[in-house]
Amino acid sequence: MKKKTKPIDMVGMLFLLVLSVIFIFPFYWILTGAFKSQKVTVKLPPEWWPLEPTMENFQKLFQNPALQWLYNSVFIAGLTLLIVCLTAAMAGYVLAKKRFYGDKLLFSVFVFAMALPKQVILVPLMKLVSFMGIHDTSWAIILPLCGWPFGIFLMKQFSENVPTELLEAAKIDGSGEILTFSNIVLPIVKPGIGALAIFTFINTWNDYFMQLVMLNSRTRLTISLGVATLQQEFSTNYGVIMAGAALAAVPIVTVFLLFQNYFTQGITMGAVKG
Amino acid sequence: MKPKKINKIRMRETLVSYAFLAPALLFFVVFVLVPMGMGVVTSFFRYNMKGISFTGLSNYITMFQDEVWQKSLVNTLLLVVGSVPLTVLFSLFVAALTYEKNPIARSFFRCVFFLPVVTGTVAVTVVWKWIYDPLNGILNWMLKSANLIERNIMWTGDKKYALWAILIILITTSVGQPIILYIASLGNVPKDYVEAAQVDGANDLQVFWKIKWPSLLPTTLYIVVITTINSFQCFSLIQLLTSGGPNYRTTTIMYYLYETAFKRFEYGYANAMGVILALIIGVISFIQFKALGSDVEY
Amino acid sequence: MKKMVSLGLVMAVTASALAGCGGGGGNTPADTTAATTAAADSNDAGQTEAGAKEDQAEANTPDGGAVEITWWAFPTFAQDGDNPAGTYEQEIIDAFQSKNPDITVKLETIDFTSGPEKITAAIEAGTVCDVLFDAPGRIISYAQNGKLVALDDMFTDDFVKDVDNEALLNSCKSGDSYYMYPISTAAFCMAVSKNALEDAGAMDCINQEGDRTWTTEQFEEMMGKLYDKGYMGATVYCSGQGGDQGIRAFVTNLYNSSVTDDAVTTYTINDEGGVKAMTKIKEWVDKGWMLNGSAYNGGEDVDQFVAGNTAFTTLWSPGLASQRAETLEENGIEVIALPFPSEDGVPALEYLVNGFCVFDNGDDAKAEASKKFIDFICNDEEWGPKDVVKTSVFPVRQSMGNLYPGNEEMGFYASLTKYYSPYYNTIPGFAEMRTYWFPMLQAVLNGDSEPQAALDDFVAKANQSIENAK
Repeated sequence: MKKKTKPIDMVGMLFLLVLSVIFIFPFYWILTGAFKSQKVTVKLPPEWWPLEPTMENFQKLFQNPALQWLYNSVFIAGLTLLIVCLTAAMAGYVLAKKRFYGDKLLFSVFVFAMALPKQVILVPLMKLVSFMGIHDTSWAIILPLCGWPFGIFLMKQFSENVPTELLEAAKIDGSGEILTFSNIVLPIVKPGIGALAIFTFINTWNDYFMQLVMLNSRTRLTISLGVATLQQEFSTNYGVIMAGAALAAVPIVTVFLLFQNYFTQGITMGAVKG
Repeated sequence: MKPKKINKIRMRETLVSYAFLAPALLFFVVFVLVPMGMGVVTSFFRYNMKGISFTGLSNYITMFQDEVWQKSLVNTLLLVVGSVPLTVLFSLFVAALTYEKNPIARSFFRCVFFLPVVTGTVAVTVVWKWIYDPLNGILNWMLKSANLIERNIMWTGDKKYALWAILIILITTSVGQPIILYIASLGNVPKDYVEAAQVDGANDLQVFWKIKWPSLLPTTLYIVVITTINSFQCFSLIQLLTSGGPNYRTTTIMYYLYETAFKRFEYGYANAMGVILALIIGVISFIQFKALGSDVEY
Repeated sequence: MKKMVSLGLVMAVTASALAGCGGGGGNTPADTTAATTAAADSNDAGQTEAGAKEDQAEANTPDGGAVEITWWAFPTFAQDGDNPAGTYEQEIIDAFQSKNPDITVKLETIDFTSGPEKITAAIEAGTVCDVLFDAPGRIISYAQNGKLVALDDMFTDDFVKDVDNEALLNSCKSGDSYYMYPISTAAFCMAVSKNALEDAGAMDCINQEGDRTWTTEQFEEMMGKLYDKGYMGATVYCSGQGGDQGIRAFVTNLYNSSVTDDAVTTYTINDEGGVKAMTKIKEWVDKGWMLNGSAYNGGEDVDQFVAGNTAFTTLWSPGLASQRAETLEENGIEVIALPFPSEDGVPALEYLVNGFCVFDNGDDAKAEASKKFIDFICNDEEWGPKDVVKTSVFPVRQSMGNLYPGNEEMGFYASLTKYYSPYYNTIPGFAEMRTYWFPMLQAVLNGDSEPQAALDDFVAKANQSIENAK
């Protein structure tokens, strides 16, 4: 599009920049706050930049098993992502490409369940998980999240793109179902899997509620829960809390900034049917 | 079903399909359907730490007389009604301003608005708590320095501001994805249509409304649905920031449900709330699909 | 064929899950044990605790052999210097284990904000600890719900005679059995900042002699002087849940009200004195003498106080004094602890009792080991007194005598014992009542309800909670 820059665009740009500040500031405040001593964190006017950066917050932070928390979060989000991507790819494919008894009904059930907040089934889910003996373990988060049908919905949308002729041709060539899936379907829906992976990772990482209910032991907490615990223990000692928040945020933000194109592509593809 | 109609090919397809569906179904049945069933069933029981006894509809009756429940329902709906249109408008606005910019500016803004999402809900909430702090927070200090306010405002404890304070964080953590989606869909609007319309003398607003908006509908529907669900789920903000106060002004259904189950130990009652919440979300999603989805192929 | 197998699997899992639902409702101890055992067995390999798995497997051998118990502790013991939560607790464990090599104790520290909910979740999930270090409020509600092991055998005649305080002993009881083994106790009180008072010329408003009792009138005068000099009084904190007893005691003392009747059977805080106190508090907040604390929880109120942002706090105890000593010194703030002001100058104080309970996890060996452990913490010759001092308050055992010789401040705290008021934390439905208290305050402070209406509403709900819990 070739257009002259209109004054309204300039105003809009300016407005955008102001908004950007609001969006960047919390992150900036976490990063700088993590290096401020307790006295500095409550000082007004504030120190916009830690003039005497201190490591004491991180020392206090690492008196807790903070790295273990981080590891737990990565473990939970990573494993959930793997299981969801695999099961959803398989399910989405048949829902999109095969006509079988119960297909419509099944899909409607999935769509309905997708809209439900997990919290609705919280207490029964906790009962179930404890019956299985996995309460207070990472599995108590991973397994229930794998049941969430969003991935199936997403992968069905993607699998619609697989040309039916290709599948038929494969059948005529005598390719078995599994081979057809792995050799023909998977390569085509690969971008979709990428999108789903990103979604699942972020959602699992941020699923504070489930973690809160399912995890007790200090060494088993996720980083989100850990930071929340820090807030409760240190209440207004903001420096330590920010150190925790920084530990939680920096890895994932770094990954995002490095691979932001994948993120945006993934998110775009996840929602807009190709 | 008439047995004649079961043909062999379809039977075979069915078997194969269920084999592919099996792993997903296994998780779905065990971790979604079964607990859902258990939740519905126990919602008809007085179920607490002491034990469980059938009480019919009494949990539901209690609920409709429960003032706090009514308040939390109103608060939740306010959050939804506040966040959904604002999220849609805000992200559409940002996307419209940026999608034609050069790639660097575009990806810069995409990153900026997505940042709160990847920072993580809890990390974002704790830093906002600090920003909002009535005595030590930077927000009051800035407003005072700018002479906009005289006395410190207790953002999360004042009935006039508490829900707004929550809403602002909720919106900053939910516009990231919609903006990315709108930038993509706006880029997909066929350029020749737009140019043709402009040649015909349509102004910007007309171009937007007649040409661009219809093609944005599917994206909008998607955004509306996920934002609605997200807003209904708003919990960590409440738990970490206000504990539902002041005087239940920020108690959402989700928070009240949690409090009922884990502070008052009334699991049956909490499950009944869950059931009603599920119905509400179901109805709202259905209406959204009907209202926005009529021209949308999905 | 494969497909049928998978389908069958779905069915099987579903069926067993449903069975679990049915069984879970009954809450039999056996159920819980099964869950605990299974939890140990399916210990997540992804976690780094490969060692723990073996320990736990061992712990479940019924007799002879080693027993492993878990101990959950709220941050009641003070830690030395900058040591993180749990350091001192671990020292106790090490000492205990060296004397009892057949018992292993695993420690888990919890905090006051999310800890209570964690315990509830864990009770429901069957993953709760064996030993909990807490206070009667929660412990007795667990007992009332049948979740605890009775500790009657630990309340020997010797011990009862040594404690010699019926009110305190009753706070450990549910029905006819003891469920909490007390270790230490102290009154909750308030504290003012000497610096602020001196600066505002308000030192003459308080009484530093004897038991330091004072009147509401003096208190009001003090706040006025503080305000004139630009000091913020205290926050009327009412967010979260912790520390709610502080504000309750503040309200009841001002004009001679009480939370419950003397027999602790019904709530009475909506009497004339209670209403007058709430009206006054609202007035003070509106005047800017105190801060509407709808955004603050108890801990944050104390933070503001020790940071010098507020001139007094209604949440104070010897424990808090020792925990915050370092920060206070850093900020150069000198604290004077005081009983709550009252109309007649005779306060009625709430008190804390620190104690232990044992959860019924359906394993006698664990229960016995837990009792042994509790006995060690409270009664070991070396560790008993040391542990009491680490809670920063006073032993329930008279025979321990004065553990703080020459400490004038502790002498003052000890003198408050005679102002103990009836202990209502063991009333049925206590946990539910607490969820109504702060919202009531928030309603008044934000002008949503008049004090009378708000208190009436609170009392109605609180009384209903007694019924609910029966």
